[in-house]
Amino acid sequence: MADNIRINWGKLLSRVLLYFVVALICLFILYPYFVMACTALKSRSEIFAINGTIFPINVMWSNFIDIWQKAPMARYMLNSIVIAAGSTAIAMVCGIPAAYALARMKFKGQTAFLGFIIVSQMFAPVVLLIGIYKVMQMFGLTNSLLGLIFINAAFNQAFTIWLLRGTFMSISAEMEQAATIDGCNRIQAMFKVLLPVAAPGIVTTLIFIFINAWNEYTVALCLISTDTLKPLTVGINIFNGYNMIEWQYLFAASIFAIIPVVILFMSIEKNLTSGLTAGGVKG
Amino acid sequence: MKRKKPYTLLNKVEPYLWILPSIILMAIFIIVPIGFVFRMAFSQVTKAGLVKGFCGFDNFSKVLKSAKFGLVLKNTIIWTILVVGLSTVLGFILALLLNNEFKGRKIARAIVVFPWATTLVIQASVWKFIIDTDYGALNTLLKTLGIIERNVNWTPAPEAFFAWEIACGIFVTIPFVCFTALSGLQSIDASYYEAATVDGANYWQKLGHITLPLVKPSLTVATVLNIIYVFNSFPIVWTITKGDPASRTDTLVTYLYKLAFYNGKQGEAAAVSVIGFLILLVCASIYMVSTLKKGDE
Amino acid sequence: MKKLIAMLLVLTMVLALAACGGSKTAETQAPAAEAPAETQAPAASAADGEKVTVTMIAAQYGPKTGDWWTEFEKKFEAANDGIDLVVDCVSWNDIYTVVNTRIANGQAPDLLNIDVFADFQADGLLLPAEEWCSAETYAKFYQAFLDQSEIDGTIWAVPDLASARAMYYNKDILDAAGVEVPTTWEELTAACEAIQAYDPDIYPWGIDMTTDEGQAAFAYYTWGNGGGFVDDNDEWALNSAENVAAVEYAVGLVKAGLTNSDPATNTRYDLQDLFCAGKLAMMIAPNALSSQAGEAGVNYGFAAIPNNSGTSVSAGVMDRIMCFDNGQTAEQMAAITAVVDAFYDDEPYAEWVLMEGFLPATSAGGEACAAADPAMGAWIDIVGSAKFYPTAKAEWADVKQGVIDVEQQALLGGNVQELLDALQAEIAG
Repeated sequence: MADNIRINWGKLLSRVLLYFVVALICLFILYPYFVMACTALKSRSEIFAINGTIFPINVMWSNFIDIWQKAPMARYMLNSIVIAAGSTAIAMVCGIPAAYALARMKFKGQTAFLGFIIVSQMFAPVVLLIGIYKVMQMFGLTNSLLGLIFINAAFNQAFTIWLLRGTFMSISAEMEQAATIDGCNRIQAMFKVLLPVAAPGIVTTLIFIFINAWNEYTVALCLISTDTLKPLTVGINIFNGYNMIEWQYLFAASIFAIIPVVILFMSIEKNLTSGLTAGGVKG
Repeated sequence: MKRKKPYTLLNKVEPYLWILPSIILMAIFIIVPIGFVFRMAFSQVTKAGLVKGFCGFDNFSKVLKSAKFGLVLKNTIIWTILVVGLSTVLGFILALLLNNEFKGRKIARAIVVFPWATTLVIQASVWKFIIDTDYGALNTLLKTLGIIERNVNWTPAPEAFFAWEIACGIFVTIPFVCFTALSGLQSIDASYYEAATVDGANYWQKLGHITLPLVKPSLTVATVLNIIYVFNSFPIVWTITKGDPASRTDTLVTYLYKLAFYNGKQGEAAAVSVIGFLILLVCASIYMVSTLKKGDE
Repeated sequence: MKKLIAMLLVLTMVLALAACGGSKTAETQAPAAEAPAETQAPAASAADGEKVTVTMIAAQYGPKTGDWWTEFEKKFEAANDGIDLVVDCVSWNDIYTVVNTRIANGQAPDLLNIDVFADFQADGLLLPAEEWCSAETYAKFYQAFLDQSEIDGTIWAVPDLASARAMYYNKDILDAAGVEVPTTWEELTAACEAIQAYDPDIYPWGIDMTTDEGQAAFAYYTWGNGGGFVDDNDEWALNSAENVAAVEYAVGLVKAGLTNSDPATNTRYDLQDLFCAGKLAMMIAPNALSSQAGEAGVNYGFAAIPNNSGTSVSAGVMDRIMCFDNGQTAEQMAAITAVVDAFYDDEPYAEWVLMEGFLPATSAGGEACAAADPAMGAWIDIVGSAKFYPTAKAEWADVKQGVIDVEQQALLGGNVQELLDALQAEIAG
């Protein structure tokens, strides 16, 4: 009896500690966003006031409305969604087969290919700008969303392939073999057996690519010259003028920019936690 | 199995077909541009950016002779090691916490995505805004709470600025590590833990003997890519200090950016990036030789 | 080693493949890719394929710049049926990146609005102003401005607008501290000390030595001390005794705690915000600060920049419009001239300059601006006597970065004389 109670106390304590630590971390992470939100609701003079306050004194909800009139925000957001979704799709279509081949097949040059992927990541996009522009010019993609979709898909191949390869390798091949014996071909077995089991890894990869493409700035800046084709990251530069930075608008726009990503994340998050169904794990 | 299949040629070619789309995508959009960087590094480039013929290692010797280069390289290495090292440790711990079942976990996970879902330029702007001496949010907060009386200068020296930039780098990198680790944690079969519990293992023993070894593969890859991304990271340093004062907070990328677009020395800038590439290549080769051989064959 | 060779082989193979594939697909894909851009202009009829296109990159001066150019495009195209004008408005943070990338790829715009021109001219990329600027428009510019874009006897760019710097001061703070508006360095130091004694929470003097605009600080103090970037023969003279004393004076103010806390990272925008919040008593700024400070309710005044040599020199900044040599046809050249003429048309031009808060570069524009805003008159006089950066010299970019670095090293405790000697040797030696 006494033993039981002591264990419960311990459990309770670790529980409370867990909540406390997680809450603390969340507060810390949210702090910059809290600052962003408060700043976005202040007037310009209040932001730079001598004795500044944490919260706005005169809440300027109008800042959140003004940005939609001062810039084609909806258009920017749509462009960003198209770019991010398109890049994710292409990166997955190219990346899944490659990861599958690396995890399930043996072939010459396997290691070289893995190396090649890593090497492709070793230059900062800033450095590659001129070359990227040249390539886009060759394909006539300089001022188009399609060009950005391809670039972002390519930039994210490395992570896609490496992470999916790891995920696939951690899943036993036995079930697929069983499926092949049942008359499935390789592709069917992959779709029906492997991919559902690998869902957590796939979802992580999806989120990763989407977010990276959503946040890409440097290449979009140089490739897109038409205002109506600009993604959000580049478009909100309009609040970054020659004489002053309109912090309240910049931050208000940035808050809107986070929303789609968080919605996407919340909607597919359950796949991240569902874990493995019946899949065996190789040690 | 393999002997059953009659078309051996197709069998041989098949893996290459599977990786072909990926190769084409990367070759066109990354490798070709990399080729241009190499060409520029070995060419004389005018200030307006026109390439005028081969010049051997001229650009490299100019870069290596410059007094700044050593300082910048040192900064880059400190930056990379601290950001990657600390964010990996913290991100992993956070992943362990979030891997527990608890109420509000969904919300906690969504919150952790925030720093990642924000463009780096904005993220860095907010931090710059927070630590500002004169109207910074941190000073306002501490003053309101009554902890300080007058504004504190959080960045009295270049080293302090650099430390804040590193903190910002860690802040934005943690979610990446956390979710990679989390996806690794999710794929660990619960039966391992059950068996260990039956054997009387405590939390730390399970962590050391089951969790770490199983998460390691996905975490090592994430770390290598992380090293590359952080090494080449541009917006944080650029937004907060632009490498000022006197390159004390410059990393290779901000340094070469200034060389290319402020000083009009694109050839030298390309040479800097090739040097950075070689450093990363050496690091990656060491990693590949050590990990891949052990892990895969 | 084998792995590496294999990797290189794959790399080269792929490169070759991509190169072959690329050039072939180029033509076939180009029209398809242009489609999205065209959807923007639904008014253009499909049959009308013979339009002459003029491309332009314009610098984004403020939040309204983009809209203004869009509006300009519309009006211009409505008035000039055969011309398709495409203006790309880029922020100052990114314009060099964008322009360099485009030029390196042979995609220079027809017209460019930016601050520098000498590097483009050195590569033979520009057309002389008289080839694309009509005589009528050309005659409108202040001669002193045109001279700033002269290399080897040819004018390569025309000014689009200018700004001049003066010392802004907060009248209320100066009155409360019992200080007169300083005109010399001695008075300035004394004024700063008095303001600091009055209220230690106020920064007496603002200095910006950042990568953003540190060269301006160099200009203010060296010009005010009889020195400068170049000597009387237009040769670099960065390490003159006047310059050393000037930089030492500025750094001395910082070291004495009489300025903003961190001149190496506080940009002029930061300073302007501090000034508007009443936290900074005096700073050197362009005329655009007037409207910002007025909106913020600061009781401000402006005066000549304090000097040490007896003559006050204002620092002028001028941006330009230039035309790239893209092998244009006569028809295209005529279209470009039409665009330039329309831009400098007195009324819209004055309206644009006023909107951006700058000073006009044409005499007609000057009159129009002075009529619209009486305060402009004083500024137009100031800009008339201003000195400009030696942007026509080929080494300017290096000098600019060099003096900023010297300032920042000096702030960290470096010896100004040694630093400037080293810079002079690097630039001129």
